[in-house]
Amino acid sequence: VTLYAPSTAAQISTSTPVDAGPTPTAVPDARYDVVIIGAGLAGCATAQALTLADPERRRRILLVDRHPEVHPRFSGEFIHPRGAQVLEDLGFYRPLVEAGAIDVDGFAAFENADARPVDLSYASVRNQRPRGLSVHHKTLVRVLRRVVRETNHVQMLEGWAIVQVIRDEGGRIHGAVLEGPGGRRHEVRCHLLVGADGKGSTVRKLAGVPDGRETIGFTAGVEVRGASLPHPTYAHVFLGAWGPILAYPILRGPDGAVSTRVTFDLPRDLPAKGPRLKEYLLRAYVPFLPAPLSAEVAAAVVAHTGPLEMAPTVNLPAPTAVMSGLALVGDAAGCSHPITASGMTMGLRDAETLGREARRRAHMPIEEPWLDLGSLRRYRAEHDRYVPTRQALADAIYEAFRGEHEGARAIRRALFGYWHSGTEARQRSMALLSCSEGRASVFLSEYLKTARHALGASLVPKYARHYPMGDRVRQAQGAARLAREKLGLVAQVMWAQVRPSWLPHSRDTI
Amino acid sequence: MLETSERKPGAASRDPDAPGDADAIASRLDLSATDALEQGLSAVHQLTGRWRSRTVVTRPASSEPEPERWLLAVPDVGPACEVVLADRLFHDLRRDELEGLLAFIRGSQDASGAWLDPRGRPDLSLTVLGWWARVVAGDDPKSESMVRAARIVHALGGAQRANFQVRLWMAMGGQIPWSFLPAIPSELFLVPPPVPFGPMSYSPWARGVLTPYLLIARAPARLQLPDASPLLLLRHDGELVAPRLTRHGLAGDLLQAFDRTVKLGRKLPRGPLPALAARRALAWIDAAQQEHGGWFSLRPTLLSLVALRVMGAASDDPRIRRGLDYLRACRGLARIHGGVRTGEIALAQGIGGPPLPIVARLMRADPHARDMAWLLRQELSDPGPWQARADAPAGGWPIETGSRSHLDLAATCSVLDALATLPASSSQVAPAWATTRRATDVIIAMQEASGAFSRFERGEAEVFMRRLPWTDADLLALGHQRDASHVRLTARALAQLGRTGFRIDDDRVARGIRWLERTVADEHTHRSVDTLAALARCCGTVCPPEHPLRRETERRLRTRQREDGGFGNLVDTARALVALLDLGTVCVQTTRAARFLVESIDRAGPELEHMGSVCDDGFGLNPDTFDPSAGAREAALALETFLARGGKLSPRSERPDAPTTHQAEIRS
Repeated sequence: VTLYAPSTAAQISTSTPVDAGPTPTAVPDARYDVVIIGAGLAGCATAQALTLADPERRRRILLVDRHPEVHPRFSGEFIHPRGAQVLEDLGFYRPLVEAGAIDVDGFAAFENADARPVDLSYASVRNQRPRGLSVHHKTLVRVLRRVVRETNHVQMLEGWAIVQVIRDEGGRIHGAVLEGPGGRRHEVRCHLLVGADGKGSTVRKLAGVPDGRETIGFTAGVEVRGASLPHPTYAHVFLGAWGPILAYPILRGPDGAVSTRVTFDLPRDLPAKGPRLKEYLLRAYVPFLPAPLSAEVAAAVVAHTGPLEMAPTVNLPAPTAVMSGLALVGDAAGCSHPITASGMTMGLRDAETLGREARRRAHMPIEEPWLDLGSLRRYRAEHDRYVPTRQALADAIYEAFRGEHEGARAIRRALFGYWHSGTEARQRSMALLSCSEGRASVFLSEYLKTARHALGASLVPKYARHYPMGDRVRQAQGAARLAREKLGLVAQVMWAQVRPSWLPHSRDTI
Repeated sequence: MLETSERKPGAASRDPDAPGDADAIASRLDLSATDALEQGLSAVHQLTGRWRSRTVVTRPASSEPEPERWLLAVPDVGPACEVVLADRLFHDLRRDELEGLLAFIRGSQDASGAWLDPRGRPDLSLTVLGWWARVVAGDDPKSESMVRAARIVHALGGAQRANFQVRLWMAMGGQIPWSFLPAIPSELFLVPPPVPFGPMSYSPWARGVLTPYLLIARAPARLQLPDASPLLLLRHDGELVAPRLTRHGLAGDLLQAFDRTVKLGRKLPRGPLPALAARRALAWIDAAQQEHGGWFSLRPTLLSLVALRVMGAASDDPRIRRGLDYLRACRGLARIHGGVRTGEIALAQGIGGPPLPIVARLMRADPHARDMAWLLRQELSDPGPWQARADAPAGGWPIETGSRSHLDLAATCSVLDALATLPASSSQVAPAWATTRRATDVIIAMQEASGAFSRFERGEAEVFMRRLPWTDADLLALGHQRDASHVRLTARALAQLGRTGFRIDDDRVARGIRWLERTVADEHTHRSVDTLAALARCCGTVCPPEHPLRRETERRLRTRQREDGGFGNLVDTARALVALLDLGTVCVQTTRAARFLVESIDRAGPELEHMGSVCDDGFGLNPDTFDPSAGAREAALALETFLARGGKLSPRSERPDAPTTHQAEIRS
């Protein structure tokens, strides 16, 4: 069914700024330049980036979110310096810090609770902002929505959800059917529909974008007030339990007290549910934290009333980020395990890239699409450079940190050995992990170094004086097997870096 | 020495800091069955507390009498006999000690004249040692019981056919020639440690025996012991019947020839090598003496002390004194199980200090915060020989209290089990977690390539030299890798890993489970209730319900329940009950098992105190030991678990007779 009448587009379109208040009775207009579905980090950042790209306020932007308040599910809270820079450029940084966000200095990785931590500091990475940002997710979204509203350029509808995408005869998406409170449905038309509704994106599904989404497991989180983090302004990664445990500051209260988020990586087949999950965490995870943090976390778990905050961890190999009339941003355009905490940074980079493209065409006639096919192609080319790298890194690091098999444990030993070997090694790894380095040569060189360390660490035991040769060989074989398996991934990432943007994709949809 | 608690033992004195509050448990009970269950639980708690107080004692003030020490793991008479024999060299036993040991030896003699093995059969080696120890103590060899013993020895082939340990004592006593013992080429002690036939590849027990043996045989040592020739079988020409040192067959013949060659070679000049090997062996003995004065258990200690004397150490040498003190600390009271004076209490010689696996179980059954603190202090913190092939930092727990270098995986699992009872609010929790982390690394490092776990050192059951057809080859290794004790140990280690969050998706756990599957499928001997219970607890922790091993183990275990609700004796039933609860929830079978326990406790009366079970398969030539506290302790643990999982005993008139779902499945 064709619902779009191109001849009416110019009439519907208006450059009048929208008074965007979160009034429950508000209804969408019939026509916008851009409709963004999802008012989380990626959606708000995209809206703000587009707003800043249109200083004359000629374009109309609609921001829609299913939840009248913040999404109840626990979500990302840690932003690398590259993302923090985007937040500052978009005008979010200062309000976030005023609301309690905390500047963070990097990662402290513990091979086990008793081991010397590896200091992966942001400051060691050259040509990069020295600090990232960490903030409670609900605070983050509230502040972002407030700032977007205050621009008075974006119309925001909360409590509305997309139920259908509208296509023209050629299959190009040019609108959506939204359903508001009480089941009211409205058709809105737009030049560009932006899907920013997270890893389980409805937009992606309605648009028919194929994806290979796979649930890896779950993350449970607790908040601990006044936790004794070994490095108070760092994100901590503790290994040794079934999955990694992350601990990072998320909020500084008005009284100066800092809340810390502690997350536990749980298997897909949860060994315990409901109240027994707490017992399971106390038995199988908390002991792998160093004292006194372990006791503080245990007390927080015991004191927690109701079910723990949980979220599935999903591996979503980057689907096609654009279609004709559609762009996906943030987790909707691919996500991986949160171990590298790069999801929000990627979402912010998506917003930044779309904003840059919008700025490029800010002075186009109003009847022309703001972001045309060329813009979307360039967005995709840029997106496809950094997202596969991030996903490959996250997958590899998670596999190594989980240590599920001999090869992964060899890589883990190698990683820590490599990081302990010198500042240069940590700096290079951190540049990759914090999304500030994307060169294929650096990625390849880091891969080769880790593989070499893995082989060495497998052949030379740490404590045993007469370690059986069979065990050494088995470990080395495991490391070699894993390195071989990852070769394809390395090649894929390198190709994504060097791939010419003009080269058509095999499943090109624009 | 352990510290004590001054409180009165029993359920009423349980630490409020400890989990499993009795009031809360009682409130869940059905009133009609509360009394029986409470009474049973109270009785076993009292006995458990009593056993715990017998073990954990403070160092008494100088003015106070030394408290009675009881053995928690009672061996047969072998160790007591050897101590009596060795006292001819050391002259260390006090009169009361000698009398006490002799009472144990005499009381354990069967009416037939023999000393019996755990299966109730006459044991040649024990009978030789028992007879000889009695002669040393002055008993008349012509008395009826001694003559009967000598006849048994003759019927079993003569003293020269006894095990290596007995023949070594006989050679030292000048009763048989040294050629009746296998030759150990001294050059073996000069090979680099990783070489598969060097001493480092033996089990720790064998290393502790063979190293002093090298020095003793080289000297050779000679002890002034009374004549034991009546025990030897002679040929018609008056010559001793020589024992065969190797197995029958071509390989055995060749090895026997090699043995003769080595012994002949000793008469030839061999340069500095023997002296160098002896120096190295002596250095090893010096280095291997532990802080508590002993070596790796009693027999290595006795032989090391003899070797030190042979090498010139005086009787007041500090090493000798510390070793003798260790032997004294290993003694304790024990009830005689089997023999003409069954049931009497006598002084027995243990094979080590208070065994941590049992001490930890007692503390688990009767938890107190200070006990947990004491357990934490027993953690290994020094490097030990177990780390030669296990890639882990120091951690875990030893087999006996006071040991600082020998890891025991069974003790480690027991202690971790006990520490897991600490409530989250306890001040001991943080240190307990730290030790748990280290112990987890240790457990993982003790896994063999096959998937099985080793108890003391990796490779302990797979000694290369054991493949040679020696008759005494088994003393080099710690059991067989596929024997029931290794199956149970592997199951316990995997269950322990499961409790700390490991699952079957981990390749190490999966490897262990695969090994268990293969071993249990191949070996029909792994069907004892004890082994099935260990397997069931392991599967209940790490395997999903549909896993074949879990289903098969559960099926086998459930079919072992008898009409009376028991699974055999009290200890087996208690273990089976806990295992079934770990596999699922309270069901008719668990309720029947709990009822059996309560009724057995009521029926046993005072006998319950010593209603134990064989607890260990021993190591090397060490005997199985008897665990007298097992009955009360395991029953207490099982009934507590039953109550904690919401179990209750219905009145007898309401006992369900209908088959359970599992039983129906089994019958179908």
